[in-house]
Amino acid sequence: MLTSTNDRAIETHSLVKTFHTKHGFLTRTTRSTEAVRGITFHVNKGELFGLLGPNGAGKTTTVKMLSTLLIPTSGSIHIFGQDILQHTRDIRKHIGFTFGGAHGLYGRLTAIENLRYFAELYALPPRETHNRIRELLELVGLRDRGNDRVETYSSGMQQRLHLARVLLHDPELIFLDEPTVGIDPVGARELRSTIKLLKNQGKTILLTTHYMAEADELCDRLAIINHGQIIAMDSPSSLKSKLTSDAFVELKTSGENLPSVKNVLAQLDPDSEVTYNQHAFVWEVNIRTRQPGVVMELLAPLLSSNLIQTLGVRNQTMEDVYVSIIQNGGA
Amino acid sequence: MIGNFLRLGIRQMNVQLRMRVLSLWSLALFFTQPAIFSAIGMLLARAVGNTRPDLVYTVLGAGIMGMWSGLVFTSTYDIRADRREGTLELIVGSPTPLRRVVGFRSLLNILAGSTSMLAAVAAALFIFDYSFSGINIPGVVISFSLLLLALWCMGIFLANILAWSRLSGTFVDLLEMPIALLCGFMYPISVLPAWMQQISAVFPIRWGLETLQDALKGSLIDSALVNKWLIALGVSFVYYLLARWFDRKVHDHIRITGELHSI
Amino acid sequence: MIKRLGHLFRLYFFQAWFSYRSLFAWSTPFSYATSKFGFPFFAMLFFVFMGKFVGFLDPMFIVIGNILMMPTTNGLYGISMTIGNERQFGAMSYLLGSPAPRAPLFLGRAFFHILDGFVTVLVALPIAMLIFHIDFAEVNLFMLACCLVLLSITTTGLGFIMGTVSLLSRDGWMFTNTLGQLLYILIGVNIPIERLPGFLQPLSGYLPMTRGILATRLALGGAGWSEVASLLAGEILVAAVYMVFGYTLFRLVERASLSTGSLDSI
Repeated sequence: MLTSTNDRAIETHSLVKTFHTKHGFLTRTTRSTEAVRGITFHVNKGELFGLLGPNGAGKTTTVKMLSTLLIPTSGSIHIFGQDILQHTRDIRKHIGFTFGGAHGLYGRLTAIENLRYFAELYALPPRETHNRIRELLELVGLRDRGNDRVETYSSGMQQRLHLARVLLHDPELIFLDEPTVGIDPVGARELRSTIKLLKNQGKTILLTTHYMAEADELCDRLAIINHGQIIAMDSPSSLKSKLTSDAFVELKTSGENLPSVKNVLAQLDPDSEVTYNQHAFVWEVNIRTRQPGVVMELLAPLLSSNLIQTLGVRNQTMEDVYVSIIQNGGA
Repeated sequence: MIGNFLRLGIRQMNVQLRMRVLSLWSLALFFTQPAIFSAIGMLLARAVGNTRPDLVYTVLGAGIMGMWSGLVFTSTYDIRADRREGTLELIVGSPTPLRRVVGFRSLLNILAGSTSMLAAVAAALFIFDYSFSGINIPGVVISFSLLLLALWCMGIFLANILAWSRLSGTFVDLLEMPIALLCGFMYPISVLPAWMQQISAVFPIRWGLETLQDALKGSLIDSALVNKWLIALGVSFVYYLLARWFDRKVHDHIRITGELHSI
Repeated sequence: MIKRLGHLFRLYFFQAWFSYRSLFAWSTPFSYATSKFGFPFFAMLFFVFMGKFVGFLDPMFIVIGNILMMPTTNGLYGISMTIGNERQFGAMSYLLGSPAPRAPLFLGRAFFHILDGFVTVLVALPIAMLIFHIDFAEVNLFMLACCLVLLSITTTGLGFIMGTVSLLSRDGWMFTNTLGQLLYILIGVNIPIERLPGFLQPLSGYLPMTRGILATRLALGGAGWSEVASLLAGEILVAAVYMVFGYTLFRLVERASLSTGSLDSI
């Protein structure tokens, strides 16, 4: 265990990462991309911290800096109180990371061979390796497939094997970059249970995802990141409560009946927000309102005269919070 | 400690071998190019009336060519595959230094390439009916060991260049022929113009190879041969030190540019 | 009719350009030059020194032969990889499922490779002539240019066949590589055909480029049209046979894949 003077597993300050790429055949120009633009946050020991954001927001770049794979352009990172640039090798012994997808495994080797290979890279004692691999395959539900080549695995199985690989050397801090991407709902649920189990064992976990429900279910705290900056950071419940108690009334109608619907919606109070989305012949209308009952009363006659096909009301979800924060640029 | 080191080595080699064996045909690459180059040498000699090929340069030279081409090809393949598959960042992000992984891989690549030398020896014995009775056996053993060391040192040096950027594979591939050309793989170094001979002095392979060729031709272990051995050892060591120095630069560079992954 | 021709032309042009660009995404002039001239140039010098060692006293034969071989980088390797890569990158299903006519799709891939191959040899030949002090005074430059264009085209015949082989087998690149290296022996690049062992000489006659290289050598020696005409005609005929065979093979493979699904993945 790395010694640390405080309870923080991760501490970053004004983290910036800029990539420079060259373009052009005859005249070369250098283009700079600021993937991360001044991120400051901390993760406490034993905490499950989520990093949320759309594609290209800077989540993976941040995780790669935190896991020693990228050097920040400026700013500082301390892992368990140690500066990441000065104690790189030491820190690597105590962290585990995975970047999701089908990458990062040797497809022509079996799961057991893959794990043995990485066990050597982490200098696991040979006597422990055998048992550890068996335990981990059991944990991720791959015990029966341990001797099969990884190229025959489904994406869900590969993700689970990634998790087993991350846990080989029993790291105190785990980075999981979109661990459930591309997995079916059942597999994703199982993986989330395993992540919860790890948290209960006292591991510190930093998880990136763009599944809002996942973040809501798993994370103690989360940061929403967009265009390389943190635009909101708090516990999922606090983030939700910061937003209004708006509800959403949703209906479906045909293009032919849309004008009638629009006529009725014109009577709504100005604070309500209406969005229209067309899917083939059907229009989905979404009304964000503080008075769902009033809106329902207005629309009920349309339902009874078959001018709308479905009508319903739902409460705000984490996804609505996320979309609202991203669209408004901050909480 | 030593046990850990050896286990890592064995595991590393095992993975590399398993990853590489795409099919028997792909293994033929170690043999086809050297055999074809050797055949060109024989046919050129035949065109001017020499029907018996030269043992040291034309036949065994093909073995050397196979070892070198194999080293370049497999080293380039390894790093490209690891970049593409996303395993390079897992290796770099582990506590084991990349240079140790690369060191074992280069060793395996050279040992695998040695099979083309065995094939060349077999061709000399069974196809061209040569006997090796006149050779200086201790000289050959020491020279061949030094040649392996020279290849390994160049291998780990080139591996650093390969790790530097996703585009450096093209550059390393490009070095295959110039080094074969300058180090006299299939002809004596004296055939080259003087300025080329001077350039080739900076490559340890040239010295290891020259001593091997001398020993195969029956040269005794005299001061000239020993001097060349020492030069081979010295230049190899310089490459080893360069590789160690470069290794640190590469470790920082790839983490600044984000060249660990090809996507 | 004009609209249809316009469509075919666009299809041909874009196929050619995008397949060329996707394969050879050169980033700098240096990377272009090194990958085009690097291996052929140093291999040429290697053969020259090899020849010097064994007493082959005509280095110019080797130099010219190797320069004339340069379009194979495009015609053999480039085209073979372009077709073979469709399978590797999973684009084959989209291609086979598209209603586009097959001949422009297939043959279209060659256009920029032919152009690039021609430019390569056009650059390399004068440089070699300057270095080795060869006199151009007697050379019919128009005829020489015709020979070089023809060589750039005929080398694609093998590329089409090997490309289709690459669609069938993931070891296709291996066969292409071996064939490419055998050409150093078989088509009169390093060794005069008449000095090859008897059993190899007829094989040379069945390969594209053999007659083209011989005709170009004669053109460089100051020969006239009458001396090279039959060689050029033979070269065109052999190349046409290879192209037709390559295209037919591609169509057969395409048809078979509809029932077996063999082109979906590696």
